[in-house]
Amino acid sequence: MSVQLIDRELDRLENLWEDGLSDAYRSYLEAVAAHEPAAQPKLALAAALVEIGIRLQGLGGRAAAPPSLLMGDLCLARSSRLLADAATQAVQIAFARAIEAMSTAAASGASAPAARELLLHALKAS
Amino acid sequence: MTVQRLSFDTKRTTEFVDITELLRQEVRRAGMRTGRLHLQSLHTTLGLAVNENEPLLLRDFANMLERFAPAGAGYEHDDFARRVDVARDEPVNGHAHVRQLLLTGFATILVEAGDLVLGRWQSIFAVELDGPRHRELALQLDGEFSPPRSPARSAAPAKRARTVGGNGARSLDSDLIELELSRQLLVDPEPVSAPMRRLVEAGGKRLRPKLVQLAAAIGPRGEPLRVAALAAAVELLHNATLIHDDYVDESTHRRGRPTVAAAEGPERAIAVGDYYFAKATRLIAEIGNRDVTSTISKALEAICASQIDDVALRGAFPGDHDSYLRVVRGKTAALFAAACASGAQLSGAAPDIVEALRRYGDLLGIAFQMADDLVDFSPSSGKPVGLDIRQRVLSLPLIYAAEDRTVGPEVRRLLAGSLGDAEVGRVADLVTSCDALQRVRREAQALVDAAVRELETIELDGLRPTLIGLAHSAVDRIS
Repeated sequence: MSVQLIDRELDRLENLWEDGLSDAYRSYLEAVAAHEPAAQPKLALAAALVEIGIRLQGLGGRAAAPPSLLMGDLCLARSSRLLADAATQAVQIAFARAIEAMSTAAASGASAPAARELLLHALKAS
Repeated sequence: MTVQRLSFDTKRTTEFVDITELLRQEVRRAGMRTGRLHLQSLHTTLGLAVNENEPLLLRDFANMLERFAPAGAGYEHDDFARRVDVARDEPVNGHAHVRQLLLTGFATILVEAGDLVLGRWQSIFAVELDGPRHRELALQLDGEFSPPRSPARSAAPAKRARTVGGNGARSLDSDLIELELSRQLLVDPEPVSAPMRRLVEAGGKRLRPKLVQLAAAIGPRGEPLRVAALAAAVELLHNATLIHDDYVDESTHRRGRPTVAAAEGPERAIAVGDYYFAKATRLIAEIGNRDVTSTISKALEAICASQIDDVALRGAFPGDHDSYLRVVRGKTAALFAAACASGAQLSGAAPDIVEALRRYGDLLGIAFQMADDLVDFSPSSGKPVGLDIRQRVLSLPLIYAAEDRTVGPEVRRLLAGSLGDAEVGRVADLVTSCDALQRVRREAQALVDAAVRELETIELDGLRPTLIGLAHSAVDRIS
């Protein structure tokens, strides 16, 4: 993804890039190799935003303070829009199911499945 | 059980305020069929009574109270020289406290067949003993509730079913949306579905799904089940944002019931909000219309960005008109606009119609939020007056009052300090005393007019009156 494109998609979330988002983004790049070249960076960023978003919210742990929760919400929303732009229907549905699984576990007090594992799996949905 | 507060203003020193109809409305609004309505005065000089509303009899009661506990009869409570910690504005009201002792501060009224059980001559009174004042009663409804009615139906009483386009596709009844909502909640895991079910069943106006449904009747494609799925998803998305908002705003009640955060803790609230955020986006993805998915996802992004702005602006409370519009356009109007546009897109409507409906929804959403702001200053709304002030929520009447040449300086000074009951009540009085409420009302009405004008340029195949009615209903509650 070009630097300009990343900049645009990080609007209001710039501080997160150096705070774990870039590492998460890179970790998903390999998993998106099977997708259309133009869609790959957006899909990797969408996955990274979910991972960082739920961490910011404190999902499955101690509730985050309101500003952090709202930032996490924006990460999830941005991810959703990136998926709407670039993902197949199957991947969109798989991402949603991954978040459903993690939030159900959090609401039940059960141990949450690893976010990265779920999202890597979601990226392979067809 | 539902929990709420009833607020009202009294006008005289001693006054019998008949609250029977107000309570009846609360029972209806909650959909209670059978049970008990518990009422409790939150003041030591406000009593409760059940008796006949006959003017001469009410004068008899007032005279009796005066005879038993005359004003100024040397009450020790009024001897401020002997009392400690006397507030500067402490009234001389020993007689009022003594009179309250003769009445009761609590009442339980039975509810059967969805109505209060009262004898032919019985009315329920809040008895003001030291007015005029702003008063508050605690109210709990405990019993069996029927499924919520759809207020959107009464808000837009025009056509329910009709034929559109060339293929005879039919628009849906609101009941289909309610059924779809219930069906979706039925299949979800209990830890997330139970809190969401409580919120959904507590009511809500269902304006957004109604807009989806109406807009989906415009184009040539008629697919009732997909429309119901989209409408339900939009409502779930709206409710998911409310659950997180309530945690952020530290709200304890919504729609008369404890918020998820207050009842089950912030951790559960975050999880439930996330679950239904994800579920709603999945339901929309499953519909398989890329335009619809894109429209809703952009709205969701706008909502979340505006929430951040909203909280940030609380540092400069009450803010200014431009900031207000920017936040409200994202926080409220974005989903109204998306509901209209996505419904039209699903129906295969032409792009110019989709865009006109998007603008209609945007204007309607802003007007709706302004009307909602006004409700905060309405004693008859059933909600505690001044909640927005207390929570420092962005509110146009407050912005206008703060700009007012006469009351503005005091409003700004009060809002800059800590906000206890006295300060909140004073700010509410100042807002009401200037022309802030009228300005907001006029502005909301102008937005509705503009929304209606958006409909004039497009072919709506008979839906125009319903959409116009819906737009007017958004501000009717404040007229």
